[in-house]
Amino acid sequence: MNILKHKHIPRRTFLRGCGAALSLPFLDVMQGRGAKISAPKRVAFFYTPNGVAQEAWHPKSIGDNFALSPTLKPLEPVRKNISLFTNLDRVKVPGTDGHAQAGACYLSTAAPDDLSPAGYPLRRTIDQVIADTVGNLTPFRSLELSCNSFTDNRESVYFDNISWYGHGHVARSIKEPHKVFRRLFNIKDHQENASVLDLVRSDAKDLQGSLGRMDLHKLEEYLDSVRTVEQQIERITKRQIDVNDLGIEEPEKLWTTMRRDEYIQVMGDLMVLALQTDLTRVCSMMVAPERWDTPLMFEDVFEKPILHHGWTHNQKDQKVLRELEKLDYFHMTQFSRICQKMKAIKEGENTLLDNMMFIYGSGLSSGMLHECTNLPTVIAGNAAGQLVTNRHHKHAKGTPIANLWVSIAKAMGCSIDQIGDSTGPLKGFAV
Amino acid sequence: MKYIIWIAAIWALSQGNIQAIERFDYHTVRKKTTLSMPEIYEGEFLSEAGKARPQDMRGFGNDWSGNSHLLWDGLVGDSSMLEFEVAKAGKYAVSFQWTMAPDYGQFEVRLNGKLVEESLDLFSPLVGLARLGDPIVFELEAGIQRIGIKLISGNVQAKKFRGTGYLYGLDYIKLRDLTPKLAKVKEIKEADAFKIPEVDFVKAQAIMKRHCFRCHGANKVKGEINLEALTSRADVLKEVDLAHHAMEVLDKAEMPPEDELQPSKAERVKLASFFEGVINEYVSANTRLEPVVMRRLNRYEYNNAVRDLLELRGDIYPLPEKVIRSSEYFDPSTGRMPKAMSVGNRTLGKFQVERQILSGADPFAIDLQAEHGFNNQGEQLSIPPILLESLLKLGRSIVSAPEFDGYTALTETLFKENGQPLVDRLRPFLEKAFRSPVKDATLARYVAYFLAEQKLTGSYTMAMKSVVGAVLASPKFIYVAENKYDAGDKTQTSDYELAQRLALFLWSSIPDELLLDSARKAELHQPNILERQVRRMLNDRRSRALSENFARQWLRLDQLITAVPDFDRFQVYYSRIGCEQWKFGLQTMIEPLLLFESVQVEDRSIMLFVDSNYTYRSDELHAWYTKPNAPFDKRGNRSRFNTFTQTFRKRHLRTRREGGLMTTAAILTMTATPLRTSPIKRGAWVATVIFNDPPPPPPDVIPEIEADDAEIAAQGLTIRERLKQHATDQTCASCHARIDPLGFVLESFDPIGRWRDNYRGGRDIDTSGKLFGEMEFSNIEEFKDLILDQPEKFMRAFIEHMLSYALGRELKITDKPAVDRITRRVKADHGRFSTVVVEIAKSVPFRHKTGQAELK
Repeated sequence: MNILKHKHIPRRTFLRGCGAALSLPFLDVMQGRGAKISAPKRVAFFYTPNGVAQEAWHPKSIGDNFALSPTLKPLEPVRKNISLFTNLDRVKVPGTDGHAQAGACYLSTAAPDDLSPAGYPLRRTIDQVIADTVGNLTPFRSLELSCNSFTDNRESVYFDNISWYGHGHVARSIKEPHKVFRRLFNIKDHQENASVLDLVRSDAKDLQGSLGRMDLHKLEEYLDSVRTVEQQIERITKRQIDVNDLGIEEPEKLWTTMRRDEYIQVMGDLMVLALQTDLTRVCSMMVAPERWDTPLMFEDVFEKPILHHGWTHNQKDQKVLRELEKLDYFHMTQFSRICQKMKAIKEGENTLLDNMMFIYGSGLSSGMLHECTNLPTVIAGNAAGQLVTNRHHKHAKGTPIANLWVSIAKAMGCSIDQIGDSTGPLKGFAV
Repeated sequence: MKYIIWIAAIWALSQGNIQAIERFDYHTVRKKTTLSMPEIYEGEFLSEAGKARPQDMRGFGNDWSGNSHLLWDGLVGDSSMLEFEVAKAGKYAVSFQWTMAPDYGQFEVRLNGKLVEESLDLFSPLVGLARLGDPIVFELEAGIQRIGIKLISGNVQAKKFRGTGYLYGLDYIKLRDLTPKLAKVKEIKEADAFKIPEVDFVKAQAIMKRHCFRCHGANKVKGEINLEALTSRADVLKEVDLAHHAMEVLDKAEMPPEDELQPSKAERVKLASFFEGVINEYVSANTRLEPVVMRRLNRYEYNNAVRDLLELRGDIYPLPEKVIRSSEYFDPSTGRMPKAMSVGNRTLGKFQVERQILSGADPFAIDLQAEHGFNNQGEQLSIPPILLESLLKLGRSIVSAPEFDGYTALTETLFKENGQPLVDRLRPFLEKAFRSPVKDATLARYVAYFLAEQKLTGSYTMAMKSVVGAVLASPKFIYVAENKYDAGDKTQTSDYELAQRLALFLWSSIPDELLLDSARKAELHQPNILERQVRRMLNDRRSRALSENFARQWLRLDQLITAVPDFDRFQVYYSRIGCEQWKFGLQTMIEPLLLFESVQVEDRSIMLFVDSNYTYRSDELHAWYTKPNAPFDKRGNRSRFNTFTQTFRKRHLRTRREGGLMTTAAILTMTATPLRTSPIKRGAWVATVIFNDPPPPPPDVIPEIEADDAEIAAQGLTIRERLKQHATDQTCASCHARIDPLGFVLESFDPIGRWRDNYRGGRDIDTSGKLFGEMEFSNIEEFKDLILDQPEKFMRAFIEHMLSYALGRELKITDKPAVDRITRRVKADHGRFSTVVVEIAKSVPFRHKTGQAELK
C-alpha cells in the first residue's frame, strides 16, 4: 500500500469526459433534439470561512475597470466578467457564536432580531428562496456542496452549513464527490425510491394526529422531503436520455486522498456540470466550514497543516498576515479556476458564466474581530446582462447584504422586494 | 445548575462545625451482588486479590451461580486475600461455596483472622461444586471483611497446576443476617438534611450594594447585568436565569473578581442562599419541564436499531463512531473487565473493522454534536431531501445485500413463507419497529403493500424484504415520536414511550422483547420494575453504547482524530518516520474509553474518572508514557509498532499524577496545538467536561500568542508568563482567571501528554493555582484531591451531562430539582455508576413529557 505523500497527478482524473471538458455544448444538443430551451439563468455561491485579510483584499480604485488588489489578482483571466461589491454588512446578534452565525446566517433571510429558538437569525436562506421559484423547472431544486474534509466533527451544524430550508432544517451538503455524482446521474437510484413514498407518507400522516406543535414542524420537514423526492424522480426521469447521453463516469480517485486544490476543483466540476446540464439552477458550495480549529493541509501552499481560524486572530503579526494572504489567494485562485471553466462552456452566443451569477463571499470581513461590516463580495457573471461587470461597486456604508440577496433573487426572476433587514435592491443591477 | 449541598457545606464550614474531611477511597465501590439473591456474594465479584481472576464455568455445566467463579493459583505457602463489604454491623451466618477440581489444593481459610477451615481439601477427580459449607456464625462490623486463603498443601492424588502449584475456585459466599429485623430506619428527609436558613431580600440587597453594584448597578452595567434594578424579591423571581447565574458565580467564587473587595465567606453564602431560595421558589411554582423536540435517530442509533430489529449478526455499515474495534471483551454481566483485551482502533483505518458489515449499505453522514451537548437534540436533527434519499436507499440496500439472508436471524421466521398468517408476522414486527401498538389501519397498509409487491415480484421473500425496506424509512421508525397531542404541563410518558426512552438512553437502540412486554403490561413505571429493567439493560452487552456514544461525545474524543502534533518535534506520535498519516498517537483514544468501560462494567464510582489508581494501556502505550525517548525499544523506523490489534492490559499506576481521564494522553494531546501546549484549551476542556461549566464564547478580540513554545522560550518566558503578559485586558481577565488555572495545572504534561519536569528550555513549570477562586493547589495531585474532597461538584456535572444525553435536550433551570435529587442519591452511594443511571431513569424529567401547545 502506497497511499502516502506522493504528489502525482492522477493518471485518470475524474474530469476526463465531464465538467469543463464536456465536449458538446449541452444546451445545443438538447435544442437539437427539439427541446425549446433558451439558456436559463443560474446562481451559485462560493463560501470561504473566517473572513479575509483586509488590506490585500480591497482594491485601491473603484468604478469600471478597477485595478485588482493582490488577493483578487487570480481573477485576471475573468476580470471582464466580474464585479466587486464593498460596504455590504451583516448584523451580528449576541448570545450565539460569531462564527456559527457567519456560516449559518450568511444567506439567511431573517432580520437580525428574528431569532430562532436556538438563538440564530436563521430562516430559509436566499438560495432556497430562489429555488422555490426556479427549482421547479429542473430535476434538483438546488445542490449543496461542501469541501469540509475534517474528520473530527469538532463544531456544531451551524458552523458547517450555509444553506437552510428553515431554522432547525438544514439543507445538508454533500462532501463526497462520488456521492454528488451518483445523486446527479444514477437515475435508477432515484426511481427505485418511488415505490415506498406513498406508504411512508401515510405513516407520516398517521403521526400527525398525535404530535405536539414543535414535533409537527419536524414532521413537516419529512413530508416536504417526500414531496421533493417525488418531484425529483418525475423530472429526472424525463431527462433520462439526456443524462445517459453524457457518457461520463464516476470519479475513481478516493476523495480523501485528493490534494486540497484537487478536491475543491472536483467539487467545482460537479457543480459546473450540474449547472451546465440544467440538472439544477441553484447551487452552493462551502469551501471549508467556519472556525474548526483543526490543522488542515494545503499542498504546495504551506509546508505543514495550518490553522486558518487561529491565524485570523493573530493577523497583527505581519508574518502571520502574509500567510493568511497566501491562503486567501489560494481560495481566490480556486474560485477563478471554476469561473474559467464556466467561461469555457458555450451556450449559444454566450457562455455559462454569462448566464449565471457566481458569488464569492464570507460571513465575516475580518476574522480578527469577527467583523461583519464590509463583507468580501465578488460576483462572476451577470445572469445574461442583469448587472454591470468589470466594476467595483462601492455602496454607502452600512448597506445590508440582504439588499444584494434581494437583487440576486430578482435577477433570477423571483418576485421578492424585501427580506430580513433589506432596504431595497442594490445599485448596479438592471432590475 | 448549582447547589444546595455545596452551599450547605460552605455554610457549615463558615459556622466552624465541619472537621477536616477524611477522604473516601472511591476504589472500594464495586459491583454489588445481583438483586435477586441479596445474601450471595459472587466470588467473581470479590475485590482484587493478586492472581485471582474470574472464570467462566459454562463449559462445565450450569451449576455455578452467575455462571462463573473466582479462580486463583499459587505455590504452597502462598496466600490470597479477598475482600467484600457488609453494609451494616451484626450477626451473620457465613457459608462458602467452593469449586473442586483435579488440580485444586488444600487451604486454610480465615475470615477477619478467625479460622473458618483448618484444612479444606478441594481436590476432586472431576470439576464440580463442593458441598455448600456449614454456616458459621460471625459478628461482623460494617465495612470491608477480609478472607485469607492460604495454600498449605495438595492432596496426594491432585495434579499440580503447571507442575508447580495448586488452584482454588470460589463460587460464592452466602451471608444470612441473624440480627432481628428492626422497624425500617426512617430515612432522613432529604429536604431537612440540607435546610438552609432563609435569607431575606433586604439582607441580600445590602451585600450586593457593598460588593456588586459598583460594576452591576445603575452607574455601570457590565455584562448587561444590573443588579440594582432588582428592588424586591419579586423582581428577582422574574429574573430567575439571572438569579441562577448569580448563584453559580458566587458558588464558584468567580464574582466579585479577585481585585475587587471580597465579601466574607458568610456573606457569600448568605447571598448565594438567597438566590437559591428564589430559584427554589421558582421551580416549585414552575414545574413545567422543557419539552423535548421530536428527534430522529442518528447514524449510530439507526445502525443499532436495525441490528436489533432484524437480529443481525453485526453492524450494517462501518461506524467511525466506534473507536475501539472489538467488543469481545465487553461483557457487563460478568461484572468484571478482563485484565487484558485485544483491541484495534481507527489508527489503522479501514482494516480495523471489528465485525462484518453488509456490502452496498451506505451510511448517511454523521450528525454533529450540539455546541455543549450531544448529537441527539431534535432541533438540530432534520430530514432534508438528500437524507430521505439516503434512508430510502439504505433500507433497500440492507435487505438486498448479498450477505443478508445469512446475517439476519429472521430468515426463517419472517422472510420465508411457512403458512403462518401474514398479519401474525407483521403485527409484532411493526410493533417492535415502531415501538408502539400497531393500529389496524397501519397494519392493513403494510399488508396491502406486501400483497402488491408479491404480485409484482412473484416472491414472498422479495415482498417481505420490500416491506422491511419501507419500514426502515418510515417516519415511525426514524423519528422518536411521543404522543403529545393532549399532553399538558407534565404528563407521565406511556409505557411504550418510556421503553423507547430507556432503549435509546442505554443501548442507543429500540426496545427488546422484554421491555416491550413490560410496556404491554403497563408496569414499567413501577419503580422496582423500572429499576430491574435498567439493571438488566446495563448487564446486557448492548449497554456498550454508553461508551461508544455517550462517553465519546462527553469527552469530545473525536477531536483527537485530526490533532497534528508537529511532525518533526513529536515523531513518536507518528508510526513511521516520513509518514504523517499514520498516527500511533490515535491509539491513546482507547485508554480513556477502557477506563470508562471498567467503571461501567464493574459498577465502580464515577469519581475514578477524576482519579483512578489503574488504567489500561498496551505495552507500547505504556512505554510511551514511561520511556518517552524510546517507546518502541530497538524496533526501527519501518514498523515501529504492531499495526494490528494491540493487547491492552490493566495497569496499576505507581503515581497519582496519572490516573483518571484528565491526564490521559488523548485528552492532553487534543487540547494542545502542534508546537506547544494550550492552557486555555485544556482549561476550557476541564471546565466543560469535568465541571459542566463551559466558558462563554471568547470575545471578538482574541489575539493569540506565538504558535511555537520555542519562540516563547526565546523571550525567556514560560507559556504561563507569556499568557499573563498577554491577558492584561480587563475584559479578558475575569474569564481567564477562571479558565486558565484549570489548564495551568496540566502544564506538567507536554503537548502529547507525557510528563515533563521542566520546560524544554529548562524553566520550571508552575502548575499552581486556585480552584473556584479560593482553594489553592500546587500540582495535579492536589488538584484532584480538591475535586475528590467536594465530590458533589463533579458528580453533578456528570449527572447533568448524562441526563441531557438521556433526554435529548439541553437542561433548564426547571430540571434543577431532579438534578439535585439524583446528586444527593449518587453522593450517598459514593458515585456508583449504576446509581447514576438508575436515578436518571427514575427521575421526573426522564419519565415525563411536556406538551408543546404554548410554544412559539
